[in-house]
Amino acid sequence: MTEVPLDLNVNGRRYRLSVPAHATLLDVLRDELEQTGTKTNCLEAECGVCTVVLDGKSVASCTVLAAQCNGRSVTTIEGLAEGQNLHPLQEAFVEMGAVQCGYCIPGMIMTAKAFLDENPRPTRDAVREAIAGTLCRCTGYSKIVDAIMVASQRLSQQGERP
Amino acid sequence: MDVVFLEPQSLEDAIAMAQSAGPSAKFIAGGTDLIIQARKSGTWPKTIINLQRLPGLGEIVEAAPNWHLGALVTHRQIESDARFLGSLLALRESACVIGGHQVRNVATIGGNICNASPAADMLPVLLCLNAKVTLAGVAGARVVPLCEFIEGPRKTVRAIGEVVTQVQFAAPAARSGSAFLKGGRRRAMEISIVAMAAVVSAGADGTMTDVRLAVGAAGPKAIRLPEVEKFLEGKVPSKSVLQEAGALAVSAVSPIDDVRASASFRRHLTAVYTRRAIETSWNRIVELGNDRSAA
Repeated sequence: MTEVPLDLNVNGRRYRLSVPAHATLLDVLRDELEQTGTKTNCLEAECGVCTVVLDGKSVASCTVLAAQCNGRSVTTIEGLAEGQNLHPLQEAFVEMGAVQCGYCIPGMIMTAKAFLDENPRPTRDAVREAIAGTLCRCTGYSKIVDAIMVASQRLSQQGERP
Repeated sequence: MDVVFLEPQSLEDAIAMAQSAGPSAKFIAGGTDLIIQARKSGTWPKTIINLQRLPGLGEIVEAAPNWHLGALVTHRQIESDARFLGSLLALRESACVIGGHQVRNVATIGGNICNASPAADMLPVLLCLNAKVTLAGVAGARVVPLCEFIEGPRKTVRAIGEVVTQVQFAAPAARSGSAFLKGGRRRAMEISIVAMAAVVSAGADGTMTDVRLAVGAAGPKAIRLPEVEKFLEGKVPSKSVLQEAGALAVSAVSPIDDVRASASFRRHLTAVYTRRAIETSWNRIVELGNDRSAA
């Protein structure tokens, strides 16, 4: 098997790996690094459940070759909380009851994270459009959108503090 | 499975690598088509050549009236480029309905045209803009009109060892409007049942002068509809004119039945979207005129 070297920053920690040339970013996160917060589902970039943030942009990790990520930085759901303190998005999802079975939530939160980083105070419609590529089969999305709106308010208030 | 992964740092290297690797090699950019196709078919290319490190292919450059879109420009870059207004608004409208943010963040215009899906959403718009494709190969560069570049479903004129480096087009006349319409069961994450693009220019006499109309997902490849264009030129888009244009468009398409829609529904949508695309483009010219007179 032909392997390629991979120098990857995951959640602020640097890994130097050797991975099969056809391995996806999802394969490497889950199987090599055992960071299983990122979920496997459709494997065709239809459901968004495997979403991670790659160099600041949301991507479906099932359709990105790990080899293409050499020298790049990934943030996964494991990288959001600081110790015991949940990220405002995670907190808002809990508070608003946005989580039912939970399977889509890591991908949903990472989709929202990348979106809010670029659009700190979005409209509700913009949030709905932003998560269109991330499917939840439980909630009907209302509470997910509520949670992202709440998180956006808190995050931008935090940002405004001196 | 034994895949060799190559990372050229220059265009010349990419061409040389593809030349020596032969037909079992594939270029990768965003990867959103290649990886899914390889996984589904169980057949991976023997060699994957990563184009993402090539310098200078990721920019949108305006050299009025011409636009140059590097092959590595992503759908997200196109949809968020506020310079695409008026006659170029349809480009943003087509880029923003492809997949979700995750796909649009990585999927490239070069990949979209090389994959040559009959349902590729940007193709009808690019056809309306008379887009041309630049290919770089061992013998140098050549420029091919997009309508000739795509030969059929998943088939292009690109030869082994040739890299698509850019897509270019000239902005239509000032008094022009454009529209892109996509038919699907829902608004997000859909593969088009029918996609329609129009660019319409208004003449001094208040009629449509330059009319361009293209349809996707209604045949083996996206096509312009010259009979409809000719019929509309010199006319005002009245209800009866649009009705007739819709009927003409239907006779020019050759849709199939598949899991997404029947051929007859696709024909129906072709008529409806012809009317709407022309009308919307036209109304957008009028809006532009009103804005100017108000200002």
